[in-house]
Amino acid sequence: MSLAIAGMGWITPLGSGVDAVWERLLQGDEARAEKIAEKFDDQSYPGFRVPDSALASLAPHPRLRRASLISRFAAAAGLEALENAGVKLDPRNVERIALVFAISNGGVIYTKRFYRDIVESGAQSASPLFFPETVFNAPASHLAAILGITGATYTLVGDGAVGLLAIRMAEDLMANDALDYCLVVGAEEVDWLLCDAYHKWRLLRLEPPVEPFSEVARGMILSEGAGAILLAREGPIRIESTHAGGYYHKRDEVEEILKRILSDLIEAESGLVVASANGTFIDKAECRAISQVIPDAVVYTAKPALGESVGAGGLWQVIVGGQALRHGELPPLLHVPSKIPLRISASRAAAATARRAIVLSCGLNQQIAGLRLRADR
Amino acid sequence: MSESTDVNGKNPVGRVAVVAAGVISPLGFGLAETLDSLRAARDCVTAVTRFSVAQCRCKTAGQVPDERLLAERRKEPRAQRFHRAAHMMIRALTEALRQDPKFKPELIVIGTTSGGMSYGEDYFRSLHRHGDLRRSPTWIANYPAQKPVVDALDAFGIRAPCQVIANACASGTNAIGHAFECVRSGRYERVLSGGYDALSELVFVGFDSLQASTPEKCRPFDRDRTGMVLGEGAAILALENLDAARARGASILAEITGYGISTDNFHLTQPNPSGSGPRQAMEQALQSAQLPTKVVDYINAHGTATPFNDTAEGKAIGELFDRGVPVSSTKSMMGHSLGAAGAVEAIVCLLALQHQFLPPNINFRAPDEDADLSIVANESRPASLRTVLSNSFGFGGTNASLVMQKFEA
Repeated sequence: MSLAIAGMGWITPLGSGVDAVWERLLQGDEARAEKIAEKFDDQSYPGFRVPDSALASLAPHPRLRRASLISRFAAAAGLEALENAGVKLDPRNVERIALVFAISNGGVIYTKRFYRDIVESGAQSASPLFFPETVFNAPASHLAAILGITGATYTLVGDGAVGLLAIRMAEDLMANDALDYCLVVGAEEVDWLLCDAYHKWRLLRLEPPVEPFSEVARGMILSEGAGAILLAREGPIRIESTHAGGYYHKRDEVEEILKRILSDLIEAESGLVVASANGTFIDKAECRAISQVIPDAVVYTAKPALGESVGAGGLWQVIVGGQALRHGELPPLLHVPSKIPLRISASRAAAATARRAIVLSCGLNQQIAGLRLRADR
Repeated sequence: MSESTDVNGKNPVGRVAVVAAGVISPLGFGLAETLDSLRAARDCVTAVTRFSVAQCRCKTAGQVPDERLLAERRKEPRAQRFHRAAHMMIRALTEALRQDPKFKPELIVIGTTSGGMSYGEDYFRSLHRHGDLRRSPTWIANYPAQKPVVDALDAFGIRAPCQVIANACASGTNAIGHAFECVRSGRYERVLSGGYDALSELVFVGFDSLQASTPEKCRPFDRDRTGMVLGEGAAILALENLDAARARGASILAEITGYGISTDNFHLTQPNPSGSGPRQAMEQALQSAQLPTKVVDYINAHGTATPFNDTAEGKAIGELFDRGVPVSSTKSMMGHSLGAAGAVEAIVCLLALQHQFLPPNINFRAPDEDADLSIVANESRPASLRTVLSNSFGFGGTNASLVMQKFEA
């Protein structure tokens, strides 16, 4: 089944607004890393945070009063996607929209605060205000309440591939004619605890930049924000095919799974691959798979500029792919080594001949997914 | 494929069979022990042993005994690092695949709320106290919610993609319901579905801090109910297009015929007192099954025993169904296993259909004047069951209902 993207929205460390952030990417801007510290540990970590100004236009809502940052990001991106599509939800159409939410680490800031109180002062000090916000589906619940969605709402959890898996799930839901739209949102927030965990897992580096496809995998930088796409039957960008994906048991299986996904998705005029390369072990596997299966495609990853936002990452990749197809242009690929067996551009480049883009999402905890976009222009 | 059309007369729909099932919960290891506990109305809630509850109001939970779970775990070195949630998933999956070794899923849909949360707790405690972090790679790698699912699938060489749904306490029912819709729509022929959750300190203290859990017995729908107790477990249902299942000679344990999902935007942790969310989910499930309310022979209620939930659910059931329909909450016997609850309760419904009995709602003393329900009080009893309904509702205002029917060729 082919679906279309009717609207898109995102909030990122480079600000908010699909076209505004896209313009910054085209200019070669990259987010500035902030030091993230924790009072009970001396080690600090770099993270790409969403600037306060990016949330300034988010209208107050009772549900967001005590909500964690992740819920605010999700609300900002979701509302932008609907506005971008020109869709207003009202009692006539609100039952014809579903919400699928992609998340990996969830509301980690409140979760840490809640559990820290237990560890430091015992169960009696646990706050009933924080606990509900620790639940994975809290951001989806807030967004559903803001939009007035009363039908199907799903929160999908996973690793960096979860955004594309959520789009696949939305496609399953849209097989039902009772739905006209499905809003797919991915969101994440950054906290010291996450950085420390990824660092101990040897996947995080202590200083920018993120160097994709590098010979030595020096690690990623975590980031925060949200991405949203409104799926409909018609729209300027079609999701021509979603791949069910797969998962790997050992890291040396990644390349073969990526090759299989690419082989299944490749079509004529698939001139662009939006990769998930983020400075970790997945880059080498992605590089080999792409160079062998689709060597002529131009390859781009926004992660040097935006960081690895895990749950939001897949949605950001789809938005990048959609924008590239719409505008026929690609941002410069930052911090890439000079010699790699891929077609890349280190400067802003035309991509007018690409009518199709393949998006690959390889997560760090075993899940892999992909999809193919096509521009109707 | 045997097909009819949905309520809108548009989509062709196939019939969906349950061809295999597996379960582990405080009620027992496997279907036979679960059936025995249900028939005996066994109270499987015990004093919490996994962590200190000295400062909590509630001191009890339904627990899967570690000594037996770990004794039965797989022996390879990698399995020693698994979270106990993965061991529960493996146990449930083993039972299901022994029934139908030829079942090859194209998709896996599993519900959970907290994944490997206790590993996150271990990690944080060690960090915070500057303690021993040598196990931190194990804790970190096995904490994510999809990991116990992937570990369990990997143990059986299953490489199909998986979707892990975290819709709070409705997750298990949502997972089965979504799997049902995937098969019914014809997009997939075979989908493995279910749910899991393991008890964790953070979640236990969380419900305690909300005063949702009780220091007393869990008494769903009782006039004097004072709250829930938590539980844990895992359950698996293998769903397949009915014609495909019959063509390969698979055993048909039951059919899933309807699914409803609604979102109640009233409050993050409290249902709308009107019961509108649960009612919408139940109505949708029956519409999806193309069945009138009068054919429902039994309702396995969400029935957490909190004043808010049981009032809203009781009101919705009372408005939608005739008074005589038997209702029970089996959480009274094993606690609320959160993401596993909907899947475990689907197993309870399956056993009720197969063995023609009504599972009991134990610890019941006096009916609630505000909920005029026909509670299956304290003892199981024989009954002629053809159609049953299972409810699950959760934080975030998520509501889900499943319709299951006895298979009649």
